Amino acid sequence: MAKKFIISNHIRKLRFFANEMTQQELAEKAGASRQTIIAIEAGKYSPSLELAFRIADVFGVPIGEVFECEVREE
Amino acid sequence: MSYQEKKTIVSIVSGALLLVAYCIYAFGRYNSGAIAQGDLKHWAGIMLIFIGIGIVLTIVIQIVFHILLSISIAIKKKIQDESLDDKEIEKSIQSEMVEDEMDRLINLKSTQIGFIFAGIGFVTALVSLVLGYSPVVMLNILFISFSAGSVLEGFTHLYFYRRGIQHG
Repeated sequence: MAKKFIISNHIRKLRFFANEMTQQELAEKAGASRQTIIAIEAGKYSPSLELAFRIADVFGVPIGEVFECEVREE
Repeated sequence: MSYQEKKTIVSIVSGALLLVAYCIYAFGRYNSGAIAQGDLKHWAGIMLIFIGIGIVLTIVIQIVFHILLSISIAIKKKIQDESLDDKEIEKSIQSEMVEDEMDRLINLKSTQIGFIFAGIGFVTALVSLVLGYSPVVMLNILFISFSAGSVLEGFTHLYFYRRGIQHG
């Protein structure tokens, strides 16, 4: 049986607690485009490990607090 | 709509316009009898001219697009906050036009799809020769499939920007 990895994130919540940081601000700090941040937040794009670490670094939290992975059997 | 999507729409429009212009011009001339049947040299000449026009048109349209987009961002920022200086406006223009890993992945996948389409066109062109069609037909299938492939590449871009993209 194949396993499916579903990646979700808490970026919206983290932005809220970071003084309602805008997507544009996060994009600039993480070195990505606003479009990419929007796509990541909506679960339409899974970032590279490097970008994921950079996003976590912006919020000052470990990567596990930004991204979560749920494993499902198919 | 993001900068990348706007840029893609501009490319699609210019590519589609060029393709339509080629079909109207070349087939119009052929139907009027200005090009003799099997005159490969003439067809190749027309295609080369349109390739040249395509390159120049793409460069000019992209330059004009960038200028207009920069002006519109600058005006929008100035309306939002009048105290912004030129450096801050320039920074926001640059941040709007930034290209990152998602853009590169979308570019890669779209180019792949565009090339697959052009490849199918190439095979179809060869099949047309085998079936006994004129080399002019083959040449036109080749040219149109490559042009349509680049337009398809643009639509794929838009599709991925809207629907999202995953690695692998």
